[in-house]
Amino acid sequence: MPKAVRQLAGHLLRGLVMVWIVTTFTFVLVHEMPGNPVQAQYESLIEKGFSPDAASRQVAVTYGFVPHGSLWSQYGHYLSRLLHFDLGKSVSAQGVSVAKEVASAAKWTIGLVLAGVVLSFALGVVLGVVAAMRRNSRLGDGLSIAGSLLHGVPQYVMALVLVTLLTVKWPLFSTGDVNGLIQPGFNVAYIASIISHAVLPATAFALSSFGGYLLTMKSSVVSVLGDDFILAAELRGLSPGLVFRYISRNAILPLFTVLALSFGFMFGGAVFIESAFNYPGMGALLVSSIGQRDYSEMSGAFLLITVAVILANIVADLLYTVVDPRVRRASGT
Amino acid sequence: MTMTAGSGDPLVTAAVVGGGPSVQIRDLTVAYRIAGRDMAAVAGIDLELPPGSITGLVGESGSGKSTLALALLGAVQKPGRITTGSIEIDGVGDVVTLAPKAVRKARGAQIGYVFQAAQNSLNPLKTVGRQLLDLAKSHDVDDKQSLVRQAKSLLERMGLDAGRMLDAYQHELSGGMRQRVGIMFALVLNAHLLVLDEPTTALDMISQANILSIIRDVSTDRALTTLVVTHDIGVVAEVSERIAVMYGGRLVEQGPTTQVLRDPKHPYTRGLIRAIPRLHGDPALAQALPGRPPTLGTTPETGCVFRERCDVFARLQLPACVETDPRPTPIDGDRLVSCHAVASEHQQADREARA
Amino acid sequence: MSTTLDLPTIGNRADAVVTPRRRGFWHNLWRVLRRKPTRMAGAFVVVVFVVIGIIGPWLYPANLPTDSNLILSGPSLAHPLGTDFQGADVLALLVTGTRYVLVAAALAALLTVVLGAAIGLYAGYRRGLADSSLMRITDFVLTIPGFPLLLVLSTVWKFGSALQMGLVLGITGWGGLARSVRSQTLSLRERGFVEAARGLGLSTPHVIRRELLPNIAPYVAMNLLIGVTTFIYSQVGLFYLGVLPFKAENWGVMIFLAVNNGVTQTGSGLFYLLAPLLSILLLTLAVVLLVDAMDEVFNPRLRED
Repeated sequence: MPKAVRQLAGHLLRGLVMVWIVTTFTFVLVHEMPGNPVQAQYESLIEKGFSPDAASRQVAVTYGFVPHGSLWSQYGHYLSRLLHFDLGKSVSAQGVSVAKEVASAAKWTIGLVLAGVVLSFALGVVLGVVAAMRRNSRLGDGLSIAGSLLHGVPQYVMALVLVTLLTVKWPLFSTGDVNGLIQPGFNVAYIASIISHAVLPATAFALSSFGGYLLTMKSSVVSVLGDDFILAAELRGLSPGLVFRYISRNAILPLFTVLALSFGFMFGGAVFIESAFNYPGMGALLVSSIGQRDYSEMSGAFLLITVAVILANIVADLLYTVVDPRVRRASGT
Repeated sequence: MTMTAGSGDPLVTAAVVGGGPSVQIRDLTVAYRIAGRDMAAVAGIDLELPPGSITGLVGESGSGKSTLALALLGAVQKPGRITTGSIEIDGVGDVVTLAPKAVRKARGAQIGYVFQAAQNSLNPLKTVGRQLLDLAKSHDVDDKQSLVRQAKSLLERMGLDAGRMLDAYQHELSGGMRQRVGIMFALVLNAHLLVLDEPTTALDMISQANILSIIRDVSTDRALTTLVVTHDIGVVAEVSERIAVMYGGRLVEQGPTTQVLRDPKHPYTRGLIRAIPRLHGDPALAQALPGRPPTLGTTPETGCVFRERCDVFARLQLPACVETDPRPTPIDGDRLVSCHAVASEHQQADREARA
Repeated sequence: MSTTLDLPTIGNRADAVVTPRRRGFWHNLWRVLRRKPTRMAGAFVVVVFVVIGIIGPWLYPANLPTDSNLILSGPSLAHPLGTDFQGADVLALLVTGTRYVLVAAALAALLTVVLGAAIGLYAGYRRGLADSSLMRITDFVLTIPGFPLLLVLSTVWKFGSALQMGLVLGITGWGGLARSVRSQTLSLRERGFVEAARGLGLSTPHVIRRELLPNIAPYVAMNLLIGVTTFIYSQVGLFYLGVLPFKAENWGVMIFLAVNNGVTQTGSGLFYLLAPLLSILLLTLAVVLLVDAMDEVFNPRLRED
């Protein structure tokens, strides 16, 4: 167990370093931005008749750092606020804290990405196995070609085609804004509205990303089929069902590596899908904050997306450790 | 350290209790269909494994010996298939015509197979114990406890820490351990026909000696009918009572091990034995067989498959060697040799003796 | 399987080491292309797009004429793909937008390949400290979500020209390639011929350039092609999100303006939206077919069937 703990600690430490790099990056970005938005807000507040002190405090509330002082003191101020989970205040939605906005958007995105990942993973694995088993038939060929084509279709193309087809031609699902009446959480209304709003986005998500899993799974199954232990199991008279389980469990391992690598891509893809479907997630928030020059909100959304990717990576890594005894029980390091 | 006797054990599923079955292979041909053409990897082989004996099947890689071993279990790999012949195993039936499900049930239960690359014959994601339970499930064994007991006694019999073995994953075992675990899997359901494919390849010398003595002891203790497939004549000399030599998909010579090794008749067997370096005497005396063994595509379609490398053919140029595939001729009572030159020599000797 | 069957002819796996065959590459490619009509079609489509990319902007005046009577109209003889919300010809927009798209994608793919291969080779060959620190950096680059990063960067960087776009895409996109080149290098390093070269005391640059590079070159070349499609998606996507100046001539601007002018809601002017989307799909399909052909050029084993 201490080994697992050490591993987790290592992951978390690296994650923290990542978060630090990303926050520093956004701090520098906002600070060095042409037309310095921090200074701009400060000056406009002064013009409105605020005292320098009050204006300074107001700016600090918004951006998480004071507009004056050395770069280092501003940076220190900014980091210390972050440590208290204070991401500043939104400029566009006056007075609302960024942390709150980002957190509510995160709930929608996580639901979407989770549904999309589960759907595409399941679809890719099942069809990949079929493609491998029937690899010398038309069905197998067709699946492989479909896989590599769909793998190549960008998420927004898939999303836009679905939106146009389904909202223009057959208006079945709502794609408008989820109104603020429903409280996100584990209640029926929220889950129902997620389902009705998330079906299309999640479908677009799954359709545009299962191809990669299909191709990986196919080649993995083909290589496991050639492994000695499968023939050995057959020669031991193992039932076909069990032999199939041996094949599939071994073949699925490389997919976890692919999965871990694709989270960054997925949360990125969520940006496109969310804005195509007007889905109120982190990606849409990021895009709208940039459009409205709401830089504190932008930093917050970007930070949270990064954190989500890091956490997803850690989970995928731990999952891999659980399923592969060679990693779990490796001696030494 | 004696083995728990097979009889009376709830796990005895073999129809033949108390001794190995006899195996009769008749006119067996296994062909691979490549580019629309059938090519025989095993051609018209007749071979009998007497009950309770150890037979060594020797040949270079590509000789068809592994294909023959797989055929015994009805497990010829695609694109190969058995085109003619029968494999009659006592208590199982003719493997060639048996229903697939019955063949599947016979594997493991009546016929134990120890894999060539024992290195990788286990599922890397499951412990040995879990895979033992999978075996129980596949063969409808209800009494799992006594199966585990049986497995433990086999493992301990082979000098292993049984508890540790059952709890281990493949990657935690050494080559010799894996091979012994493989033997345990082959025998744990009380199979009485044991097929070992290259059991000592890739093992160090000490482990090799160990495994060979285990094979010998286990076979004797359980009165198994055993087939050891190997390219290593030393292995055969060590364990087997009978030897069968394969070349290019044909059985070229078979007979009692001591006789064949002392007085090989077929030019190929002679060449093979000449090629072994000796510990005593001059290693330089070992002579490699010239030429290369045939592959599926290069096996001559008519005549003797060995003639291109044959020193006798080079000398005598018998027309029969080019025209017909030699059939096995019985000589010295218990031996069979497939060679035109040996056959005619033998006939002549016979005639002279009669005259 | 090859170890269990006595079938050296079909069972054995040819060694994956590919010998360099610079001389015969174009010849081989042509032969492989001709074997399947789909591959020819793929190559043809790619060539057409490249030609359009080169000459496209010269075919039309800098400011496209607009016809305010024909807004978001369907296809007609004068406007084969219809018109946009200002009454400009969609085909003209598509053609003039091609150069930006292709130049940015090609530059990005090239940068990715150079950076990824160099870092992967060096890390895999050197191992030790250089390897672990380079791979740490690679992991960071891989973990930072790419699109969101580009979005954030767009606040300071306006991506006005294709070269700027390609530069940023390339600098942020090399992580995956570096990682796989490294693992290939690690395994090549254990092969006899690299050991032998090192044993002969050949210098590191020599071993990397003459022994390792030729063996990973096919893989890298395939990545160059696939990279082009990936970078087409990401730049068009950035424009589509509307955070970049829409004065730029890029297919993504068309998609953004089409969506913002309600094409997805009303369905009028559908071709304005579909033209860039279908162009992306067509180009992707063509590249996939071409990759299939390249695969066969580089893996002679696949030729036998």
